[in-house]
Amino acid sequence: MGRYGYQKYGVPTSGYMDEYTAILTNYLAGNYEDTPLLEFAFGNLTLKFLKDTIFAVGANAKLHLNDDEIQPWRAHMAKAGDILNIGNLRSGVYGYISFKGGLKCRKILGSCSTYPRAGFGRYLRAGDIIELIQNPKNSISRTLPSQIIPKYGDRNTIRVILGPQEENFTTDGINAFLNSEYEVTSDSDRMGYRLRGENIEHSGKGADILTDAIPLGSIQVPAHGNPIVMLADRQTTGGYAKIGVVIRADVWKVAQTPVGGKIRFMRVNIKEAREIWVRTWNILKSVKKYLEGKVKGFEIKIGDNEFLTFVEEIP
Amino acid sequence: MKPIIKYAGDMAAVIVFGEKIDEKINGMVHSIAKSIERDSPEWLKEVVPTYTSIYVYYDPLLISYDKLRFLLKNYLKKVEPEERGKTVKIPVVYGGKYGPDIEFVAKYNGLSIEDVIELHSKPVYRVYMLGFLPGFAYLGGMDKRLATPRLKVPRIRVPAGSIGIAGDQTGWYAIESPGGWRIIGRTPIKTFNPEKEPPSIVLPGDYVQFVPIDEEEFKKYRGGMLD
Repeated sequence: MGRYGYQKYGVPTSGYMDEYTAILTNYLAGNYEDTPLLEFAFGNLTLKFLKDTIFAVGANAKLHLNDDEIQPWRAHMAKAGDILNIGNLRSGVYGYISFKGGLKCRKILGSCSTYPRAGFGRYLRAGDIIELIQNPKNSISRTLPSQIIPKYGDRNTIRVILGPQEENFTTDGINAFLNSEYEVTSDSDRMGYRLRGENIEHSGKGADILTDAIPLGSIQVPAHGNPIVMLADRQTTGGYAKIGVVIRADVWKVAQTPVGGKIRFMRVNIKEAREIWVRTWNILKSVKKYLEGKVKGFEIKIGDNEFLTFVEEIP
Repeated sequence: MKPIIKYAGDMAAVIVFGEKIDEKINGMVHSIAKSIERDSPEWLKEVVPTYTSIYVYYDPLLISYDKLRFLLKNYLKKVEPEERGKTVKIPVVYGGKYGPDIEFVAKYNGLSIEDVIELHSKPVYRVYMLGFLPGFAYLGGMDKRLATPRLKVPRIRVPAGSIGIAGDQTGWYAIESPGGWRIIGRTPIKTFNPEKEPPSIVLPGDYVQFVPIDEEEFKKYRGGMLD
């Protein structure tokens, strides 16, 4: 889940762009949340299995195992020689393939996360062979409840906590930030998403600050007045004032907003942010138990509302 | 300087000691950062000290911000004096193909190339913080007579080990990267090595001195390692 403990030496955390989907995909394959898996952007890739493998794909895309269409969001068994084709993503930007047991990798500074700029691994190329940790014998059948499958829209409301440098912005600037829509530009990558929209006015303190750390999801606003959301491969420190920070539970939604997609920022306070994260984490934990067969899931309809509830048997 | 504790999103708290680059304040920053790391409470993910601030990355599942704020206040009550850092000598070949911008820096400041080398290798620089990119050290103490603006168009590729000037800052590129600093020389030493713990040749609070060497010596260092 990223490289932690080395930001003080200037080493970015890297890790999943979409933590939520990556964790769900790992659970589907019978892995832990931090088991090394494959992240891909935009889709359109083909893999050949060299050994029998249980795997799951977390992505909204058409999948084929040999000639058969198969479904994402569930575990599959591949035999040696099988060919998996993943079509273009129909929504979202990043997708994940998790193999039971995980990818074999050499840890650098305690983590398998790729960070090509420093030579910590590299992007995959056609012809590469990816080694896996283990080849499971028995097959499993795990399917994500439809209510849990992430929805990747191209119009997203992203919750933020204002600060830590909100004093570098005028009230008009903060109002523009919270009350208008920003478009994701093509100048976006794993370091950060550059957005375009209504100008965010700086106060007399200006856009530049003394070099300061950059938490995941920080929204920097340089002198040009447009926000940049800092993501997985962001530099550890920087000198632009941060108007706010995206809450952890919503960082994945930013990462999954495509170029041309729209983002609206909504203010929450630190208490609400924690409640949201605890809730998100509890859902992930329940889904894990459900996939392991430890709890049962029931759909409940009340009026027009549908609910998914997890129930644990009391022994 | 009365420090302020505030949140920076839902995964980090930050202690801010004003906005002035100052050796004493920075010493305090690193001393407190080390105390928190030493205690390594279970909610702590990592600590990132900068010039005047300490970012404390935490796990919100294990602690609330209010509780964290209360605990951090205790670290401000008794600050131990900073341990004196080591002085690291960094060999540098100045000019030529290793420092393509040295002539510009000289001309811009009305100096000779020899003056630039002397002014740059004379001071003892303090490492205020590491950040930006792996192994990048923010040094303080450059002679103001060397101050030069960045390139208008950054280079696509600056070799690892390049020593540069940007405004009144100086430092090195620990890994190859794009960059807009005026490059005046290069060190054969590997200043960042992920196989080592810690991976950086210098730590905050250390001191750096640049030692001019010639091309022949540079070549002797081939594959120069960090130690």
